[in-house]
Amino acid sequence: MKLHAISRALTCTLIGAMAPTVLLAETGINPNISAVINVGYTDRSDFHGIGNLPIDGDHSAGPDDGFWLDHTELALSAAFDEMFYGKVTTVLEEHDGSTEVELEEAFVQTMAMPYGLSVRGGRFMSNLGYLNSKHTHTDNYVDRPLVYRAFVGSHYYDDGVRLNWIAPTETYIELGAEAFKGGQFPAAASSNIGATNVYAKFGDDFDESNSWQAGISWLRTDNDFGECSTHDHGDDHDDHDDHDDHDDHDDHDDHGFEFGACDFDGNKDFYVADFVWKWAPNGNYKYQSLTWQSEYFYVKEDGWYGEEHEGAFERELRQDDHNTGWYSSVVYRWSPNWSAGIRYSELKPSDTYSDGFKPKATDLMVDWNYSHFATVRLQYTRDESMEDMDDDIFSIQFVGSMGAHGAHLF
Amino acid sequence: MTSSPFSSLDLWGLTVRTFSKRLTLLAALLLLAPQVQALNIFACEPEWAALAKELVPDADIYSATTAYQDPHMVQARPSLIAKLRRADMFICSGAELETGWLPALQMKANNSDVRDSQPGAFYAAEQVERLDVLENVSRLMGDVHASGNPHVHLDPHRIQTIAIALAKRLQQIDPENADNYQQRLTAFTTRWQAALAEWEQQTKPLQGQKVVAYHSSFRYLFDWLGITQIADLEPKPGLPPTSGHLTSVLKQLQEQPLLGIIYANYQDPKAAQWLGGKSDEPVIPLAYSVGADDTADLFMLYQRIIQQLLAAVERA
Repeated sequence: MKLHAISRALTCTLIGAMAPTVLLAETGINPNISAVINVGYTDRSDFHGIGNLPIDGDHSAGPDDGFWLDHTELALSAAFDEMFYGKVTTVLEEHDGSTEVELEEAFVQTMAMPYGLSVRGGRFMSNLGYLNSKHTHTDNYVDRPLVYRAFVGSHYYDDGVRLNWIAPTETYIELGAEAFKGGQFPAAASSNIGATNVYAKFGDDFDESNSWQAGISWLRTDNDFGECSTHDHGDDHDDHDDHDDHDDHDDHDDHGFEFGACDFDGNKDFYVADFVWKWAPNGNYKYQSLTWQSEYFYVKEDGWYGEEHEGAFERELRQDDHNTGWYSSVVYRWSPNWSAGIRYSELKPSDTYSDGFKPKATDLMVDWNYSHFATVRLQYTRDESMEDMDDDIFSIQFVGSMGAHGAHLF
Repeated sequence: MTSSPFSSLDLWGLTVRTFSKRLTLLAALLLLAPQVQALNIFACEPEWAALAKELVPDADIYSATTAYQDPHMVQARPSLIAKLRRADMFICSGAELETGWLPALQMKANNSDVRDSQPGAFYAAEQVERLDVLENVSRLMGDVHASGNPHVHLDPHRIQTIAIALAKRLQQIDPENADNYQQRLTAFTTRWQAALAEWEQQTKPLQGQKVVAYHSSFRYLFDWLGITQIADLEPKPGLPPTSGHLTSVLKQLQEQPLLGIIYANYQDPKAAQWLGGKSDEPVIPLAYSVGADDTADLFMLYQRIIQQLLAAVERA
């Protein structure tokens, strides 16, 4: 609540500051200001979860049914001086009739450390896997792949610090370590350092037309009872309560209880491998390009599950329990105006959550850009993330960016 | 003739050879010594790699793009991060040409030498006066650059000014070799001014010619040669040609004779070819930067461009 108030105040300040500084921003002198509008309309059934996995409700649900406003962001960035660079990103999201303001980024980064080192501190998105550190408006799809929605609530950002090093080699090699408070899903820690991540990224060009990047990362989160709060509230939560009456609940009764995101006490280890390959004829990305990206998650859970169930408190030991999941996506751009993509994502939850059912989703999308500042996207998703409820989801989305030109990261 | 590998003569010869080999090795090492310190230069575009080569031929120079790539639309790919990480300096156009990718590279490369405001950050277009500087910019105008047209390398006078500024910057970064840079600059200036005088003679027939071109890529070239670009294949800067726009350009063409319809190597030829077919005007794929049409340096690039344009005059 407090955070919301602060973010709201900050947003007002940002909007207030925008008008007089626009000219400054364009001459590159002072804060770069950018706003991203992300709105759309989706036709789908109500979200009931992903398999029986413990998820973070709103962040895992994908777009709401009907008109939605999701991840509309306002960002401010600039160098403080020759040593430090800073960025603030606030995100506005509408869920179940209430507008949430989240402070997604507020970090400072060093610009003048020697030996290829850099430190970032504050709130930022973890360099876990390929997609996690990217803003969702740069994605090629309306929503994050199922594996991201299920395991990290679309993206994991938190308060902490990162040290990274770029090797002075021909091939791109980046090594990094992060320590976080553990205050955001999938972490819920009572200790000072509740999540750590170490990662390595590599990349190079095969030739003039082909480039690649690969990464491995290991995120460990602490999850302590009483420290957890999820974005599961409002109508969504009611849906889950109603859920008890559903037929499919009987299946879950075999496992004793349904799993909430906050019912776990212990450690989770996320091992993520990612690979991205991009092609453009002669390396000219203006007219034609192809992007193939894939990521694989292995999530190990060590600890206890417990919750109130029919008046009694149940606690079950989970050791070497693991969930896995992956996605793969191909996006082909055949003109400056058009691109299309196909993506498949599948999860294999541990026996704790599943009797062999694998949640999966297949997406098809078509993008139209008039300029490269705005995109209109149509997406069809065949959603099989619940055992006895298949859904055909249709979405139309508009994403547009105003102000400072965001740089394209690979 | 008998000879044994163990004869004293051969042994003597061997010793002499070994000794002379050592001398050669020593000499090579001495020669190599300054090369170990050779500057590592990251150029955003091939024209700046070529200019760097004129002033620092023994530097390790890498061009992030080729003449066949649109410099606005480059991926901040991993190999470029690795290259910028090791660079002592970069030479880029600036004036927002690389705004979609260079800041991302600077942020990722963790190299304090190539941050803006450091001597290692050299923006060529910012060393000269730019055309089409705008007081107000709106996205309704397309992907325009508020700080003016950044494609400055096709004006030889501006190239001269940039070369002088670059030599000065090199002296600042590498003061030990300051004399070398001055000598190189003098040599380049002599050759460039001689070539320039010749080009200005040759290109007199181009004055007053009218062209249609794709984007404002050749803005400075036309300005230098006195050529008028009467229409653009793009409806607005950065937006791909549309059939509606091309139809209106076609109407414009029927009223006046053209030297040709010009596009750069990295641009899609379809729109130019469609318009050429409809209007019977010649279509000219003009060399845009060093490396296009096998040009190896800036001199060859200018010669090639002039040759292509003069050939069009002769055809007309």
